[in-house]
Amino acid sequence: MRDAARGRLAASLTLAACLLPSALAGAASSEPYLPEPLPPGFRVEATELDGPVFADAKGQTLYRWPYRTMRNGVTGDAKGESNCADTASTESAGLMSPYPGGLLLPERDARPSCQALWPPAFAKDGDEGIGRWSVIERRDGRRQWAYDGAALYTSVRDRRPGDVLGGDSYRHEGDAPAVRVPIQPRPDLPPGFAVSTTFRGRLLHTARGFSVYAFDDDTATRSACDSACEHRFNPVQAPATARKHGDWSIFTRASGERQWMYRGKPLYVFAEDDRVRSLGGSDVPGWRNVYTQETPPPPAGFTVQDTSSGQVLADARGRTVYSYTCGDDAPDQLSCEHPADTQVYRLAMCGGGSAERCGKNFPYVEAPDGARSRGRLWTVVEIDPATGRLAARGQAGALRVWAYRERPVYTFAGDARPGEVNADGLGEFQAEREGFRAFWWRDDFFRAGN
Amino acid sequence: MSRLRIPLAVAAFLATVAARADGVAPEGNSIAYVATNLSWALQSTPEMSECPRGLNDGVREQFKLLFPEAEGQDRVFEDTQLRRQVESYHPTVAPDALPFLEGEGPVAPGLDLDGAQGAEDFTSPDGRAGIDNQMHRVLGCIANYRGPDGPIRFFEDEMVLRENYNRIIVQLNGVDSLADDPAVDVMIFRGRDKVLVDAGGLKALPGGTQRIDTRWGSRYIRHTRGRIENGVLTTEPVDLLYPWDAFYMPTDQFMWGARLRLTLAPESAEGLVAGYTDVETWYMHMLRNWSAHYQSYGKSSGPSIYKAMRRLADALPDPETGANRAISSALAAKFTQVRVMPFTEIERAAIAAAEPGVPYRGMPAQRPVAEELAETSAGTPAVAGAPVQGNH
Repeated sequence: MRDAARGRLAASLTLAACLLPSALAGAASSEPYLPEPLPPGFRVEATELDGPVFADAKGQTLYRWPYRTMRNGVTGDAKGESNCADTASTESAGLMSPYPGGLLLPERDARPSCQALWPPAFAKDGDEGIGRWSVIERRDGRRQWAYDGAALYTSVRDRRPGDVLGGDSYRHEGDAPAVRVPIQPRPDLPPGFAVSTTFRGRLLHTARGFSVYAFDDDTATRSACDSACEHRFNPVQAPATARKHGDWSIFTRASGERQWMYRGKPLYVFAEDDRVRSLGGSDVPGWRNVYTQETPPPPAGFTVQDTSSGQVLADARGRTVYSYTCGDDAPDQLSCEHPADTQVYRLAMCGGGSAERCGKNFPYVEAPDGARSRGRLWTVVEIDPATGRLAARGQAGALRVWAYRERPVYTFAGDARPGEVNADGLGEFQAEREGFRAFWWRDDFFRAGN
Repeated sequence: MSRLRIPLAVAAFLATVAARADGVAPEGNSIAYVATNLSWALQSTPEMSECPRGLNDGVREQFKLLFPEAEGQDRVFEDTQLRRQVESYHPTVAPDALPFLEGEGPVAPGLDLDGAQGAEDFTSPDGRAGIDNQMHRVLGCIANYRGPDGPIRFFEDEMVLRENYNRIIVQLNGVDSLADDPAVDVMIFRGRDKVLVDAGGLKALPGGTQRIDTRWGSRYIRHTRGRIENGVLTTEPVDLLYPWDAFYMPTDQFMWGARLRLTLAPESAEGLVAGYTDVETWYMHMLRNWSAHYQSYGKSSGPSIYKAMRRLADALPDPETGANRAISSALAAKFTQVRVMPFTEIERAAIAAAEPGVPYRGMPAQRPVAEELAETSAGTPAVAGAPVQGNH
């Protein structure tokens, strides 16, 4: 084997190699949270990606629609009121530069209203607020539940308790649409810690965003990180007032220093991390990032590939896997990324309006015969390739494809070699608003922690 | 040149000479520089003599021209905004229905890439003839790219210093003298550390350290040779993939036959990186970093740029279609001296095994060219009175 080929092979990790259990795997499968009073029947559901989320009495995940400043105006819900109407928008709002508003929207005759996709969480007569929960009055006079003053909704995409298919808890920054986000109980963490939703799990980090790490050779009673090691991995100090609580306890180092311990492992920050939510410390043998819960692994056969910026999820041939993001430019900012949504935007973007060219440029990642959905995050869906929409049951010619959060995933025919990410960010506003984004397993330059 | 400018120019020349390298060999016969500034080398005079017809329109202005608001007339999303987006994601070589104003000569910065003097060549600002820089014709009259502070030019340049992704390093080995050496080894690679800067954070300082990035950046490792004459390094051509995160995207550029012409000093280097820029890679780089909103900052238009770039491309003919895939160009570049940490055995092995990166080959499924050419501008109506650009 040529050296170069050997190097390439080494850079092409199989997913199995990347999915070594974390230091904490198996200790707990879901993230602990702080209990708080809930309206009658309301509850908390554990989810695979987002951690615990609040749900209504039927188990439907509850979402809010945060007020968001767009390029040309604002939209979303201000506290104490709902802007989600029961009439369908037919014109663009011009919220996103440089195009004007007032354009007649695609498929406007079939375009649903905001309420049709986001049913308000109506309060019954006699319901009263409790704790952070309140009842607000809608413009139509009906009463609606709110959390911290934000009007609450469910999503028609969610069918079972624990589904979070309408929105997610990823950080949506920059010029993303005004998306809906699930509301969640506060994680049960000591002061000074926080947790973020990432592709690989709910990443534990300091309140300032720096990742915390655990060492394989440490135990709950002995640290294998000596004084030289401590220069690279600094113990996360616990204050004198810190007490054992749930998964959290105190480790006393040989020096007498008190150190936070999570699920039986002392915690450290990596001195060489110069960016938040880094995974860099896990390059040091024996050291691992810490997750309050890890996401289920991608489907068998998927791989992880080295790129110029980190690692991406890839198909069995090593071709980078992409998701498609889309929010329209109407006042209600409806999603156009789910196969039940309009496909006009996606087909324009990937095929100039042609489903056939779209399928050649951005082919679906097809699921092999016999492949089945694994949990809620990665599922097999059937797609009508002529329309991009969900196929009817038993429809001839339908494609069985892998989907992430029910959104199909794709490769890009313009990626000639493993590790190329030529379509990452292709779209409007670097695909934050509409377009294709690579699945970043790890990004050392841009989206730390992902 | 005005009377006032003459003494200023003399002073600047003397300062440059004073800062140039003397005949001393660098420590260990090796010296490295990290890129701190990159921008497309264009002739951008205050009086805009290279743009006698003015500057180009951008996405916003073109939209108004193509789809004017009219009382009682509906504008449909698919026929307007989405159509323009399609033309941006799937650009064509069909003639542009909108006017495109090329940067004109006779002066433009760059290098003589082909050793010949043709009708399309320019003369450099310092008087060298035979300059190949068709990129100046494409970008020279677009506000976004003009010097000194076109919006995209500003951001792309600033990101070079700011972002580790862009940590381009040129290391010269076997250097007997920074003033004159007929043969030096040149290694180009990516570093993985922040650049040492002053307290203001915007000025790079010499003497910082860098580690080579063999983990993520092996595709950027290239070797070539060069010579130093009178303090100026000139390198042999090498096909070069180089990282250029222009606006927080992991994007690269590709230059065929890239060569450096840098004035060396012990603490800095400055000059040009010139070669034939790969058109599809350039355009994808632009699309991914600068969507329509950002293009509107300084009035540029993706579809119009693509047509012009394909029309003016002057190298690397496609073996099937004969259409040129690369365009002569130059980058204005500034470097600051850095110390490169000695390579470890693992890094040496990675360097030896590194496979050079390749250009982007374009969106595979496009409309047939004949179909494209049958239209005026990929579906957009021609604007009355607008001169239609011809195809080369």
